[in-house]
Amino acid sequence: MSRAWRAVRERALNVYAALAIAYLLLPIAVIAVFSFNDPEGKFNFTWQGFTLEHWTNAFSLPPLNDAFFLSLELAAASTLVATILGTLIAMALVRYQFFGRRPANFLIVVPMATPEVVIGAALLSMFLIYGLELGFATLFIAHVMFSISFVVVVVRSRLIGFDRALEEAARDLGATPLTTFRTVTLPLLTPAVLGASLLAFALSIDDFVISNFNAGESVTFPLFIYGAAQRGIPVEAYSIATILFLVTVVAMAFTVWQQRRAQQMASIRPEQEDEPYAGTPAMPPAPGAAGG
Amino acid sequence: MRTDEGRIGPARRIALALIALGVALGMVACGGDSGIEGSEAESDVETAEAQGEASGDLFVSNWPFYIDRKTVPAFEKKTGISVKYVEDVNDNTAFFGKVQPLLERGEAGGRDIMVVTDWMAKKMYDLGYLQNFDKEAVGPALDNLIPALQSPSFDPERNYSLPWQSGMTGLVVNTAMAPDVTSINDLFDPKYKGKVEMLTEMRDTVPLVMKASGVNPEDATEEDWMAAIDKIEQAAASGQIRRFTGNDYTRDLANGDAVAVIGWSGDAVQLQADNPDIEFVMPDEGCMLWSDNMVIPVGAPNPAAAYEWMNYAYEPANQAQITNYNYYVSPVSGVKEILEKQGSDAAKSDLVFPPEEYTADCSTVDTPPGGPEAEQRVERAFQSVITG
Amino acid sequence: MTSPKGRDRSAPRGALRRRAIPYFLLGPGLIWLLLFFVVPLYFMGRLSLESGSLETGGFEFTWEWSNYGHALGDYQDRFVRSFFFAGSATVIALLIAYPLAYAIAFRGGRWKNALLFAVVAPFFTTYLIRTLAWQTILSDDSPVVSTMQTLGLLGDGGRLLATDGAVIAGLTYNFLPFMVLPIYASLERIDVRLIEAARDLYSSARTAFWRVTLPLSAPGVVAGTLLTFIPASGDYINAEFLGGTNQAMIGNVIQSLYLNLRDFPSAAALSFTLMAVILIAVFIYIRFAGSEALMGEEAEKAK
Repeated sequence: MSRAWRAVRERALNVYAALAIAYLLLPIAVIAVFSFNDPEGKFNFTWQGFTLEHWTNAFSLPPLNDAFFLSLELAAASTLVATILGTLIAMALVRYQFFGRRPANFLIVVPMATPEVVIGAALLSMFLIYGLELGFATLFIAHVMFSISFVVVVVRSRLIGFDRALEEAARDLGATPLTTFRTVTLPLLTPAVLGASLLAFALSIDDFVISNFNAGESVTFPLFIYGAAQRGIPVEAYSIATILFLVTVVAMAFTVWQQRRAQQMASIRPEQEDEPYAGTPAMPPAPGAAGG
Repeated sequence: MRTDEGRIGPARRIALALIALGVALGMVACGGDSGIEGSEAESDVETAEAQGEASGDLFVSNWPFYIDRKTVPAFEKKTGISVKYVEDVNDNTAFFGKVQPLLERGEAGGRDIMVVTDWMAKKMYDLGYLQNFDKEAVGPALDNLIPALQSPSFDPERNYSLPWQSGMTGLVVNTAMAPDVTSINDLFDPKYKGKVEMLTEMRDTVPLVMKASGVNPEDATEEDWMAAIDKIEQAAASGQIRRFTGNDYTRDLANGDAVAVIGWSGDAVQLQADNPDIEFVMPDEGCMLWSDNMVIPVGAPNPAAAYEWMNYAYEPANQAQITNYNYYVSPVSGVKEILEKQGSDAAKSDLVFPPEEYTADCSTVDTPPGGPEAEQRVERAFQSVITG
Repeated sequence: MTSPKGRDRSAPRGALRRRAIPYFLLGPGLIWLLLFFVVPLYFMGRLSLESGSLETGGFEFTWEWSNYGHALGDYQDRFVRSFFFAGSATVIALLIAYPLAYAIAFRGGRWKNALLFAVVAPFFTTYLIRTLAWQTILSDDSPVVSTMQTLGLLGDGGRLLATDGAVIAGLTYNFLPFMVLPIYASLERIDVRLIEAARDLYSSARTAFWRVTLPLSAPGVVAGTLLTFIPASGDYINAEFLGGTNQAMIGNVIQSLYLNLRDFPSAAALSFTLMAVILIAVFIYIRFAGSEALMGEEAEKAK
C-alpha cells in the first residue's frame, strides 16, 4: 500500500510545484498579453483588440525611453560597483580571520533587515541635511548601498564551498599569486559573481521605494510606471517589461553556461565526481543562503 | 585551524557597544538642528527677465499624459530650443515635497517651468519659490488667454501663473451600473457600497463633500473642513468607499471595480473611448474648477525659453493639438473654431468648452482657512483618513 | 584559518601585510555602508527628535521624544495590521515555497535550472507592473472573480481586490522568490546519501523527512522567512494598489508623512520605531531558530 500511496504523493508534489510555477508566471502572461492590446483611448486597462503596433514602436515614447535607459544605466553602474565591493568583502570574510569580524558581519546583515521605506527615508534625511542635489548620484549611492549586502551573501555562500586545494595546487606548480588568481580563482568565482551581479541588477532595476525618496527629478522605469499608473500606463510599457523579461531569460541562460564551465573545471578532481551535486545553484539568488 | 584573535569577549563587546552609543548620543546632543530650513514668506519676488533670443535648453516638469506626442518635437524644430520634458508631477503635495528643499536654496533642479494647481502655485509664490513673469515676453500668450481665466483670486493679474489646462472635478459615473447617481450625496448611498471612490487630492474631495452638506467651500471654516473629513472617514471605515485614488480611479472604472467616483473631466472623455457608458456627471451641487498652471521657479536657468514655450502653447493651432489629446478645458481663445474646422468631437464637448450655465454652481479650488498651522491640521486629518 | 601560516612566519613584514589584507578588502564596501547606511540612520535619529514644521521656519532639535509617543499612539493599529499582513504572507509563502523548492531540488533533474529561471525571472519585470497585473487579474469583473462566484466561493457582491486577502496575496507573490531560493539552496546542499541512510534507518520516508531533511534545510527556511517578512512589513505598494480604505500599512503612513505632509520628525520617529520592532522580532526569532542563516556563522564553525 505504501508504494501506491507514495506514487500518489510524488505526483501530488509535482503537480503542486507546477501550480506554484504557474502562479509565479501568471502576471507575466497578463503583461505579455496586454502588450498586444489596442486601446482606443490612452488607458490600457481592458482588452480591446490585437495589434503589433506597440511592439514595432516599443521605443517611440520619449519619456518612457528616457526612464527605461536611465534605469539600465543606473542598474549597470550600481551593479558594477556593488559587485566589486561586495565580492571583496565576501573574500575577506571567508578567507581571513581578523579583529572586527563580527561587527563587520553585523553591518552587512542589518541593511537587509531594514525595511526599504526606512532606508529610503533615512538617506533622504541625510541628503536633505547636506543639501545634496537629488538625482542620478543619489540614486547611484542608494542602489550600491542596498545591493552590497546581497552580493556579499551570494558570493560568500559560493566561496565557502570553494576548494582551496585547487589554488594550492596551482601555486605548487609554480604559478604566481596573480596567475593563480587569474587562471583558477577567477574562473571558479565567476558564476557566483555573475549570479550576484544579476541579483544586484534585478534589485536595482526593480527598486521603487528607495528610489522614490531619492530620485529628485530623475525618473527611473519603476518611477515612470508609478506615475503612469495614475493616468494610464502606455501599452509600450508592457512591451518593454516583456522585453526585459526575455532579456533576463537570455542573461540567465548565459549564467548557466558559465556555471557549467566552472563545474567542468571543478570536476577535474576525480573524487568529486560521485558528489551528488556540484556547487551552488546557478541562479543569482540564494540571497539568504549565507550559511553554507 | 582557527585563531582567536578575531574574537572579543562578551564584556568587552558590551563595553564597546556602550561607548558607541554614548558617542552617538553625544553627537546628537551637540548636533544642533538638522539644518532643514523652512520658510517665512518673502516679499521681494524677482522677475524672470527674458534676456536675448530664446535658445538653448528648456526643462519642463508636467503631469503625465498632458501633452500629445507631436507638440514637443514641433516646438524644437521651430525654435531650435532643445526640450527636456519630464512627467514627474503626479500629485501636488508629493511634488512639492520633492522640490521644496531645492527651491529653498534658490534652485529648481534645472527646471524652467513647473505645472502645478492653483492653490499650490499660490503656496509656492507666498514662500518665495516663484518668479514674476516678464509681462512683455509672455504678452502674446496672455493676449490669447480666455477671459474667464484672466483674473483668478489667487493671482488676479496673472503675474506668476499661466494655465496649462483647466478642468472640473465632479462625478465620473458608469451610467449602466449606477444610472441614478447625480449628487455627491449619492456616493454615500449603501446601494453602492464598496463601488465608490474619492480622490486623494484633499482640495478636490473635501470641498465637494462640504458642498453636498450645503456648505459653501469659499466661506467654510476649519470646523466645516473637519466635519466633512469626519464624514469621509466614517464612509471609509464602513467600506462604503472602496479606496482613495489619484488618477488611477480611471482603471477601477474601466475594470468595473468602481461605478461612481469623484474624478476629473478630461479622464471621463478618455474613458468613453473604450467604454461609452462612462460619463462625467455634473453634480447637482456643482463642481470644483481648477487650473494647472505653468510657473517659473526661482533659479530657472532659461526664462527666455520658458516664455517661448508658453507663447507657443498659446498659439491656437498648437493649443488645439494639445486639447484634442487631453480633453481638458482649454485656456486659449480661438481653439474651438479650429477644432470645429478639423471636425474634432472635442469642439462639441461641454467638458472642453463648458458653457457658462453649465458651471454656474461650481466653486474654485481653495485651501483651508486660518493660515499654515490650521492648514497643516486639516491636511494631517485628511492624510490620516486616506492612510487608514 | 586555513592559510598556510608556516610559510610566512619568517617574514614579519609579510605577516603584517597579510594581516592588513582583510581590511583592504573590507574597507571600500564597509565605508560605503557606514557613510550611506549608518550615517543616514544617525541623521534620521536626530531628525526624529526635532520639532517644528517647514511652513513655520524649519525644524529644531529639541529632544522631542513625544514624536515617538505619537508614532506609537496614533498608528498602533496600522503597525499591528502591517505585521499581521507580513506574517500571513510569510506563512503562505513558506507553504508554497517549501514544496516547490523541494521539488526543484530533488525532482528537478535536468530541468532544475529552467525551473529556477521560472522562479526568478518574473522578479525582473518590475515590481510595479507585476502588482498592476495582479490588479487586473483580481478585479471585480475578471474571470477569476466570476468563476469563484459561480462556484460559491465568493458571495455575489463579494470581491477580491481591495481586501486584506488581496494585499496578503500581493505580498506573498512579490516576495516569494526570496523564500524559494534560500530554501532551495539549503535543500540542494543536502547530501542525498544522508537522506537515503535515514530512510533505511527509520524505514519511512515521512520520518526521514521530519528527522533529517527538514532540520538540514532549516537555515534556508529561517533566511527565507526573514527575507520575506522584513520587506513585506515595510511595504506600501501592495496596500496601495491592491488594498482599499482599510488596508493601509505602516509604510503608507511613513510615505505620506514624509512626502505629503513633510512632517519629517514624525516620519523619522515612525521609521525608527518600525526598524526597532523588526530588529527585536528578528533577534528573538534568530535566538529560537539559530543565527547561521543570516550571520554566516555556520561557515565559521565548518572550518
